[in-house]
Amino acid sequence: MELDEYRASLDDWLERNTHVLTPDHDGIGTLDDQMAQLSKVKRLAFEAGWMRWGWPERVGGLGGSILLRAYLGEALTSRDLVEPGIYSMTEVLAPTMIDYAPLDLAASMVPKLLSGEETWCQGFSEPATGSNLAALSCRATRDGDVWRISGQKVWTSLAQYADRCVLLTRTGSSESAHTGITALFVDMGSPGITVRPIETMHGVPEFSEVFFDDVAVPLDRTLGEEGQGWSVAMDLLPFERSTALWHRVAYLHRRLQSLLDVAPAHLLDSVALGEVTQLLYALRARSRATQYRVAAGEKLGPETSIDKVLVASAEQAVFDLVGAGLGEEVIMGDDPSSDRWRREYLYSRAATIYGGTAEIQRNIIARRLLDLGSDR
Amino acid sequence: MDAADREIFKASLLHAVRGHTGSALDAALDDLGWHEALTLDAETAVSLLFEVQGTASASSSAIGEVLRFALGLDGHHKSDVVLPAFGRWETPGKIVDGSLSVRGLGIVSMGDRPRTLIAATVNDMVAVLDVMAADLVLRHVGGVDPRLGLVQVVGDGVPFNVLTELEPTGWSTAVGVSQLALGHELVGAARTMLELARQHALARIQFGKPISAFQSIRHRLADTLVGIETAESMLRAAWVDQSPVTAGMAKALAGRGARAAARHCQQVLAGIGFTTEHSFHHYVRRVFVLDQLFGTASALTGELGNQLLSSRQLMAMPPL
Repeated sequence: MELDEYRASLDDWLERNTHVLTPDHDGIGTLDDQMAQLSKVKRLAFEAGWMRWGWPERVGGLGGSILLRAYLGEALTSRDLVEPGIYSMTEVLAPTMIDYAPLDLAASMVPKLLSGEETWCQGFSEPATGSNLAALSCRATRDGDVWRISGQKVWTSLAQYADRCVLLTRTGSSESAHTGITALFVDMGSPGITVRPIETMHGVPEFSEVFFDDVAVPLDRTLGEEGQGWSVAMDLLPFERSTALWHRVAYLHRRLQSLLDVAPAHLLDSVALGEVTQLLYALRARSRATQYRVAAGEKLGPETSIDKVLVASAEQAVFDLVGAGLGEEVIMGDDPSSDRWRREYLYSRAATIYGGTAEIQRNIIARRLLDLGSDR
Repeated sequence: MDAADREIFKASLLHAVRGHTGSALDAALDDLGWHEALTLDAETAVSLLFEVQGTASASSSAIGEVLRFALGLDGHHKSDVVLPAFGRWETPGKIVDGSLSVRGLGIVSMGDRPRTLIAATVNDMVAVLDVMAADLVLRHVGGVDPRLGLVQVVGDGVPFNVLTELEPTGWSTAVGVSQLALGHELVGAARTMLELARQHALARIQFGKPISAFQSIRHRLADTLVGIETAESMLRAAWVDQSPVTAGMAKALAGRGARAAARHCQQVLAGIGFTTEHSFHHYVRRVFVLDQLFGTASALTGELGNQLLSSRQLMAMPPL
């Protein structure tokens, strides 16, 4: 299916099914509400076929360009039908499975993620391993036909809801850095896994600590080869900065419009408003070019760090404007709409931290795009 | 133009701007057929020339040619075209009670030809006027960037003939195309500043290592690249979009990005970049002026913000 046809038919479907797709909860809802809404929308969109376009047929997709996926995410987030952060995890995790899982595993698992039947999480960061991902120490040891995992992850989004986890483990020596990492696909129901949700500043237990105590994972759940985990991670990260980012821009545009709908003129600085708008449009233009590069089969690389720097700046700029234009609501309002603005404002403070900090993105730009050599 | 033709054309333009500036560059552009390219494929002709012109800090009359083309006055090759006044994007001419006053600028060729084209506002309409150059007061500007060849154009009670009246959106469309040209020139200048600073950072040794190893230097240069690529993305989108509003946004992003590049790269180049023995200062000067032509980044941004505050409606984003 071509993009124009997909766009027109999807818009029509969304229009006709507004009553079933609209969230039941008021305002932003709890994380439980948002997860229930996400599963519902994914299920309905999967059953109607929309969620299957843009994914390969061997994993239950209907084929077609990745642009179809980008448009679906845009259409859902810009209508406020799904929260963009949790929706976009599919865009990050499913491609990893498709590229690295054994064929039959990918074929049986990916449809569960696309259809909203399952939630997956991504076990990368550890207490001592934030920006310096290659230093991770969660240990996997071979024991007959299983891996035995012991260690800890943190900042694992949606771990308390997750059925599976794409987990990075240390399989080489402790000094092996990026060469001794292996990626595994772990059932979160396995004995020995403990999940402790952490409440964030914006009042949502979005991520968790995850403890692994001698957890057995079959060898055929290895993603890629032993020692190839770094490549798995490096190939996954650009997806956070392409399709996922495209969805976020659509969401930011919607929220900026919502701000314009209600904020009193004397509280909005015209230069700041103009600047945010310019940034958002430039980001949309850049992200659009990135979608087309992916669609043309190009492999994404360090240039997506520019997209990521831009989206983080744009998100904080939009919500800085919210903080000024709707200051009273953000600070004092107890109604659902104010609560939503407040949570979004607070969440935006993390935009320069998650998915690779602003500093890490600049390091990548300096080293890989400007060729400035080593920083040591 | 296909990709191969584009590369050849770009190489020729690069050769021209490296070897020539001012009226010599105007002549070189004539020889290259840049004017023909402008009428055949404006985006390619404008984006390529202005980016390389900015890269080399060369100067030509091309911005006047772009304005002439965008006003639909290709037939009037024998006239100079007056640009809006310093920092402005309104028409340089204004007719009140039948009397024409002119406050504008020209670059390089202004005054070389006997006749001048001036867009002028008459009540709510814009007309293009034919004016004798001898009836205007021209001042060749030295100022901050003497190599640019800027000319200040002033006139009061100037005799004129009306050549044509523009469509209601004619002037803003022409401003938009001119802003895109200047945006590409700003991006080109910023790219050279970044490259000069990058080379210096790699070569300059302090504390036993190149200063490029220090994160404060690396992050300044990374931010410079982000600013440049942001402007470039918006410029590309504005060509597709063809709206004067997005062109103004692109010019603002290019101006802001180039001003930031000047600030970051000056700091990285430090002492040597502050001397006339290094070429950096030419770019600082050029960017300072280009930001003003057809509206500064801050003025255009404030204008956009005010429009949004009154319309309360964001423009549609470029579709996927």
